[in-house]
Amino acid sequence: MIELDGVTKYFFPGTVNEVKALDNINFKAQDGDFITIIGSNGAGKSTFLKAISGVISVDSGSIKLEGLDMTGFPEHKRAQQIGRIDQDPMASTAGEMTIKENLAMAYMRGKKRRLSHAVNKKRTENFAEVLKDLGLGLESRLEVPVETLSGGQRQAMALLMATIARPKLLLLDEHTAALDPKAARLVMKITRRLVESHGLTTLMITHNMEQALKYGNRLIMMHRGKIILDIGAEEKKDLTVSDLIDKFTATSGSAFDDDRVLLA
Amino acid sequence: MESVIISGLQQGLIYGFMALGVLLTFELLGFPDLSVEGTFPLGAAVTARAVVEGVDPVLAVLMGAAAGGIAGAATGIMHTRLNINNILAGILTATAIYTVMLRTMGRPNTPLLAYDNVFGQVLGWFGLVESHLNTILFLTIIVVIARLLMGWFLSTDLGLAVRATGSNERMIRALGVSTDTMKLLALVISNFLVGLSGALACQAQGFADVGMGIGVLVAAIASVIIGETLFGKGRLNTVLTGVILGSIVYRAVLAVAMQVGLPAEDFKMITAVLVLLALTLPNMKFLGRARSKISGMVKGIKRSRTKSGYSAESIAGQSRGDR
Ligand SMILES: Nc1ncnc2c1ncn2[C@@H]1O[C@H](COP(=O)(O)OP(=O)(O)O)[C@@H](O)[C@H]1O
Ligand SMILES: [Mg+2]
Repeated sequence: MIELDGVTKYFFPGTVNEVKALDNINFKAQDGDFITIIGSNGAGKSTFLKAISGVISVDSGSIKLEGLDMTGFPEHKRAQQIGRIDQDPMASTAGEMTIKENLAMAYMRGKKRRLSHAVNKKRTENFAEVLKDLGLGLESRLEVPVETLSGGQRQAMALLMATIARPKLLLLDEHTAALDPKAARLVMKITRRLVESHGLTTLMITHNMEQALKYGNRLIMMHRGKIILDIGAEEKKDLTVSDLIDKFTATSGSAFDDDRVLLA
Repeated sequence: MESVIISGLQQGLIYGFMALGVLLTFELLGFPDLSVEGTFPLGAAVTARAVVEGVDPVLAVLMGAAAGGIAGAATGIMHTRLNINNILAGILTATAIYTVMLRTMGRPNTPLLAYDNVFGQVLGWFGLVESHLNTILFLTIIVVIARLLMGWFLSTDLGLAVRATGSNERMIRALGVSTDTMKLLALVISNFLVGLSGALACQAQGFADVGMGIGVLVAAIASVIIGETLFGKGRLNTVLTGVILGSIVYRAVLAVAMQVGLPAEDFKMITAVLVLLALTLPNMKFLGRARSKISGMVKGIKRSRTKSGYSAESIAGQSRGDR
């Protein structure tokens, strides 16, 4: 269970450029929740996930994972329990290293890294198996450097790497945004399968409202550093994109200003 | 001519340890570690003092290597804990080492010809006399061991994390690894090897000198380039072997140049120009390959500038993402 209490984050505090990226956020997710996050540009969505993963530190408030206060923990320590991917396919894999090596590194998340051989026979078999489940034929390319894969394949690898060690929390920040529509669909399919089969607690930012409605059991909408809408599974089922936009306009008093949002 | 080959081979093997160390930091970690210009002569100075004090030469050489490793840790701590830019951290270490060496030896130079050396000592254990060929045999064996150990280390869970720190720091941090610790570890291993190289060099030449480190870095980089150009840079195992062979080729070429009467004063200029050419002649095919790798080192230098935090990176990521 992840819990944020009164979390506030400023950028450039005390200057003319001051931005309140997170404004007293109170948030709680139950184990196994798959929550989609939408909101206009600059709403604070990425900052919200970065505050949880420890990529940025917050100015006040607390962040607890399974009851453990990790507000002061450095990023790498939190990463032992938290898997994450952002939109850049280059960011979540080591391009110069092989598929096998990348998976071996991910497999060791949360475990002590020592001097045992990283890609022994048993692990290789296990990796070939999980790769086979992806259905991309990567299981026959274990020795290939990841940089030779397509963007979609790299994001699929990244998903596998984010989930292979069963983290307590999975954070996805528009992880299909940089992909072509076909690859994006494929990666979303894999996302759903991995999240559901492992029962992972997941927060997923998307700028695609259709996607936000289609996936997950809860939807939150952010605006100016606040969570302005929080919609549960029941209500979400019957909601349409135009309902969402109406709700946004009503709650925020402004028009939804993300030109990338897909209304289709 | 035979003696030229022998001295080239011997030097190449001795400096091969350093080439391995430099490969680890500059190339695999993307950390341009300038402390090596200090840790090389430090290894020699510590070994010389120990030998003069009557320490067994084998132990003395190990002490020299360990001193290098400790100095590497100093660079690592300055960079990771005190947020000093990586180049400056290396320069500070190398500068401070100068004093350490003078204090250690009590003067700038220590002759060692009057003392037993590590080669005679070890060869003696096996009932062998200290000849050039036997020395080369011994050096070959320990360089091969170092090469194998390095290859093994880089394929362990820990070694993968070190390589990933050089390849994609953000990613390996997101997998739960303290990249600071990985940098520290790599710097210790690298400078241990460089210290070992210096220790063996002083044993082979029969003296230690505070000036021994001048130009050793560019020589090591040249060895890495030669190795990758001649033997390929695809697989890690090829590269590891290649840089040692590159070191041997480089020293052999120097030895031959000396033999044909090229003045020794010109060597450093020649090496610098050669490395420069490799970096700036992208159209020459065989140099081009090495160039792309060296540009990786330059990338490492650039990457290090944003060390002061993730802000620069995340802002860049931000503007990229939210356009
Ligand atoms: N590293 C940063 N430095 C300065 N300002 C930032 C940084 N990251 C985000 N911001 C600002 O904080 C606000 C929220 O950004 P972000 O969380 O990225 O929004 P979203 O992901 O919802 O589009 C924006 O105004 C953005 O410009
Ligand atoms: Mg964002």
